Amino acid sequence: MMADVLLEITALSRAFGGLRAVDDVTAEIRQGELVGLIGPNGAGKTTLFNLISGFTPPSSGSVVFRGQNLAGMKPHQVSRLGMARTFQNLRIFPNMTVFDNVSVGAIGALGYGLGQGLFGGAKRAGEISARAWSALERVGLANLAGELAANLSYGKRKYLEIARALATDPVLLILDEPAAGLNDTETAELAHFIKSLHADGGTILLVEHDMGLVMSICQRVMVLASGAKIADAAPKVVQADPAVLEAYLGIDEEEDA
Amino acid sequence: MPDIFDAYFAQQVINGISLGLVYALVAIGFTLIFGILNVVNFAHGEIYTVGAFAGLLLIVGAAPPLLAVVLLVMAVGAAAGVGLERLAFRPIRRFSDEASLKSRAMREATLLSSLAVSIVAREVMAHVFGGEMRIIPQAALLQDVITLGPLTLTNGNLIIFGASVVMLGGLQFMLYRTRVGLSIRAVSNNVLGARHVGIDTNRTIVATFAIGSSLGAAAGILVGLYDGNIYPYMGFAPGIKAFVAMVMGGLSSIPGAVICALLLGVSESVATDFLSSGWKDLIAYGLLVVTLIFFPQGLFGHGRERV
Repeated sequence: MMADVLLEITALSRAFGGLRAVDDVTAEIRQGELVGLIGPNGAGKTTLFNLISGFTPPSSGSVVFRGQNLAGMKPHQVSRLGMARTFQNLRIFPNMTVFDNVSVGAIGALGYGLGQGLFGGAKRAGEISARAWSALERVGLANLAGELAANLSYGKRKYLEIARALATDPVLLILDEPAAGLNDTETAELAHFIKSLHADGGTILLVEHDMGLVMSICQRVMVLASGAKIADAAPKVVQADPAVLEAYLGIDEEEDA
Repeated sequence: MPDIFDAYFAQQVINGISLGLVYALVAIGFTLIFGILNVVNFAHGEIYTVGAFAGLLLIVGAAPPLLAVVLLVMAVGAAAGVGLERLAFRPIRRFSDEASLKSRAMREATLLSSLAVSIVAREVMAHVFGGEMRIIPQAALLQDVITLGPLTLTNGNLIIFGASVVMLGGLQFMLYRTRVGLSIRAVSNNVLGARHVGIDTNRTIVATFAIGSSLGAAAGILVGLYDGNIYPYMGFAPGIKAFVAMVMGGLSSIPGAVICALLLGVSESVATDFLSSGWKDLIAYGLLVVTLIFFPQGLFGHGRERV
């Protein structure tokens, strides 16, 4: 294993009954990469994502993150190892303020003992709030810190969820279809934002339906079709790959939008 | 209709506030647990009884000062809550995927297991302590009379008032200013979201049980000393009233539950002006029915209002 490999997926499979949702996928993500994962509806993107983040246990194969096998780990433990994710259908805390939402990310990452959790650690408290502010500033929501999350617009909620993930100070950030439901202008802003996160040294896996976004910002693109990885290369190479064109785009008709 | 300045009426309002605060302490346990698990904890009334008996044993055995009794009872209540979670809730929470979290069958199974634990706990206490009311040492009773102008209070009124205000304030502080509180609110808002940013949901649920149960147990001993009655079935009535307050308050709104508990306590107490005391339970159920008909979301719940 090379030193800078952050995430190593080996022969990973997951079957639901007779359906092999993820079929023998092997892949890796290195430190500092911005990788896209695309595939048509039902290709197994979400399942692969859930396998990687410890949400669903695999039927076979392994996921190794920062040298540790994630088998049997709970999602909060995976998160504390440095993997943060956002959700396609947002999972923010609607009845908490924007600041508290993001603080939860910082708390989760730092953890706390029972005594600390109830009574103390002013120093830790300072660290939590510093992390929360810095995450809010990175996504541009600092001016809305006191607002209830439920009152934010849909687009801002997406950034809130990213801020919450950033507050865990992740080594790997996985974004699940962040462009879903955004218009072209918002998608362009999002592309710019993801690039800036990457430029700051973040390692990002972008799971997307929107081909345009992935092709325009990612260094490398993996393509899933029917649960199997059919391509893994630079965007231009992938776009010209006949197997991808056939599976994803459809040669004759583009009915899979 | 009694005049508002009628001393007797004022007296009843004061008694009602004490009663309502007790309902509130019990209702908070229900509300916190409902907020985090979406399940009614039917064994919560037994925690109240456990608190009362733990306090009684302490008083009979060592006669420590009241503050020490209350703090120790809260610790016993917290431990009982943690045990309850292990026994009745965790075994059914094995599956944590989204479908199971939303499953009605899982919720009903949990509800029934808490009901089963409550019945067993009650009968065990009846067997160990006997079904009779227990005699409480006179010195420990909170029935010293205090006269304030035309009003006759007992020190129990004041102590229940003071202790409840302190505990309610402490709870708000805990929920909004501490890491445990923030975790509890996060898990109540969205379990999966919390889990994926590093919150240990199991530990958070255990903390919720400990906190809710410590308040319930404290209410049990305070009421036991105030009323002078401690018996194995004493948790039933306050449990039902607190449940009503939680539903009226919108199921998972703490301020809503507290306000409704006070409303309930005062209404019951004042109603004894008009009704014989045997009818006072009618008030709680009447208010519940009216609330459910006209405010199906509860008085303070809008949609998915949470802790």
